[in-house]
Amino acid sequence: MSWLKRIWRGREISIAMQTKFVDLPGLGSVEIMRSVDCLGAACPRPQLLAMQMVEELKDGDVFELYSDNPTSVETIPALVMTLYSTHLATVRGEHGWRIYVRKGLGQ
Amino acid sequence: MSNQNSALAGSQQTGLLSQPGFRYALAILGLVALGSAWVLSIDTRYVYLLVYVWFGVVYGLFLQYGRFCMASAVRDLFAVGVPRMAVGMMIAVALYSLIAAFVTVTGNSTFHPNVLGWHIVIGAAIFGYGIVFTGGCASGSLYKSGEGNVGSMLVVVAISFSQAIFVAASGWFDRLVPSSWVESSIAKDMPEELSVTTGWFDIFTSGHVWDLQGATLADTLGVNNVFVSSFLVNMLLVSLLPVLAVLILLYIVYYRKGHLRRAKIANPTLNDHLKGMWSMFTSSKNTAIAGVFLGIFAGLHMWVTGLLRTHYEIDNFGEMLEAMGHTAGLSMQGTVFDPGYWYITTQEAQWGAWVLEKLNFDMMNNIYFGLENGVPNPLLNAPGFMSIGIILGAAVMALSRREFKWKMPSMEGAVFALVGGTLMGIGARIAMGCNIGAFFATVTNGDPSGWVFLFGMAGGSYLGVKTFNWWINRNVSADDGFDL
Repeated sequence: MSWLKRIWRGREISIAMQTKFVDLPGLGSVEIMRSVDCLGAACPRPQLLAMQMVEELKDGDVFELYSDNPTSVETIPALVMTLYSTHLATVRGEHGWRIYVRKGLGQ
Repeated sequence: MSNQNSALAGSQQTGLLSQPGFRYALAILGLVALGSAWVLSIDTRYVYLLVYVWFGVVYGLFLQYGRFCMASAVRDLFAVGVPRMAVGMMIAVALYSLIAAFVTVTGNSTFHPNVLGWHIVIGAAIFGYGIVFTGGCASGSLYKSGEGNVGSMLVVVAISFSQAIFVAASGWFDRLVPSSWVESSIAKDMPEELSVTTGWFDIFTSGHVWDLQGATLADTLGVNNVFVSSFLVNMLLVSLLPVLAVLILLYIVYYRKGHLRRAKIANPTLNDHLKGMWSMFTSSKNTAIAGVFLGIFAGLHMWVTGLLRTHYEIDNFGEMLEAMGHTAGLSMQGTVFDPGYWYITTQEAQWGAWVLEKLNFDMMNNIYFGLENGVPNPLLNAPGFMSIGIILGAAVMALSRREFKWKMPSMEGAVFALVGGTLMGIGARIAMGCNIGAFFATVTNGDPSGWVFLFGMAGGSYLGVKTFNWWINRNVSADDGFDL
């Protein structure tokens, strides 16, 4: 039945829990606590995933969200502002955009 | 310095041209220009149709530029608490109303008010429920189709056919209509070919909607001076003051707390709040810029069409089509759908009806197509070309920004698109328009019924978001995993 589920749900959204380091423009090397890959997901799922990440992480933690949905990419920086978090950067990738967000307002 | 700048601009230019996306974008614009020149060489009167095409292209360019998703204006407030698009839409409303007031004063307004009634709330709520599942409103689905989103194309198809079937169908559900509507419908003494007493949408239109009143606020109040009625009543009271009220509400509910915390302000003054309002406007610059230009162009569209109508001495494109010898698909009155401003859903219904007619269904035995809007050939459907223009304009912008990408929906996404699109089509017909025709174009022209539409749409979206969240949580708990 898993193939049926795959057709029904489309590309799986994956959330990688292992940390990695990424060079961000103007910020240098930043430790990423979670990486969400939601290529193919349409509104409002990427937004909801960003909310979920802000909820789950600790203050000061950074997550990455990889999306190819332009409207979500436009909305997420405004979204994390309302969640008292900081949008660090949006980097154009091969298939979409990688959005970097730090939970909390401090450095 | 200036040399450096021009050198930079030059290198960027060759850089742009070397990108295939940019070349495709230029090719699309070139083809639209060539096509325009070609039809003008056949008959210069087609300029009336081309106005729709080019304004459609401009709408598409700016919708994509600002990722101007009007569905998210209400959805994101409830789903994620972000006022980005609601702010963008209010900016567009304010500017459209300003231009519309000027256009009305010059006597070139093409605006017709909607009638006010409960049907607007109910239709808008069904529409608002649908947009949560399709991920875009009627215009949003068009611009996202231009980005290569196949799911959004399915939404357009669903909106087209659901409307066409909905307004033409008759059956057991005709009996659910109140008998007073049927009596009132019979009393209208309509031509027999329309068979107004079969088909509940006909009974609803002739027996209910026609008995309701609709007017701009200035007309309701009986203001005669055109400056007072256009600027003070229609623009200020119906558009600008409500916009200001909505913006203040958005600031207080969704933005104030975060802004004050970010700026570390403990005892805010009025000045701090004004700065906060401004930061709410500029928090997404693309959206704000798109709002400004969409508002201005929507107003100009009405003005240009009004001028052309005066020039050709027509009230409706149907007269022009008839003069050119294209009589097929005109309504009984010799008219076709020709709003003269930004409108989305009716022309899509006509596409659906045209296809169904080719499949031998009679689509003209109802008021909506047979008496009012006709079912013209899509090649002669002027507002239809505006919708195609939006797709092309969005494709041009998406290609030149390297954002164009063919995206196939999952099965779940496809079902959402078809079901949501069907609900949007049905809701738009009950409410007599979508968030463009029944909200954006009305409140900016002094017709308060648009705010009623927005209210209904917000209610429907709220329920839609609740259902959507329930669906996602159900999936998550079924998998006991992370995938949302």
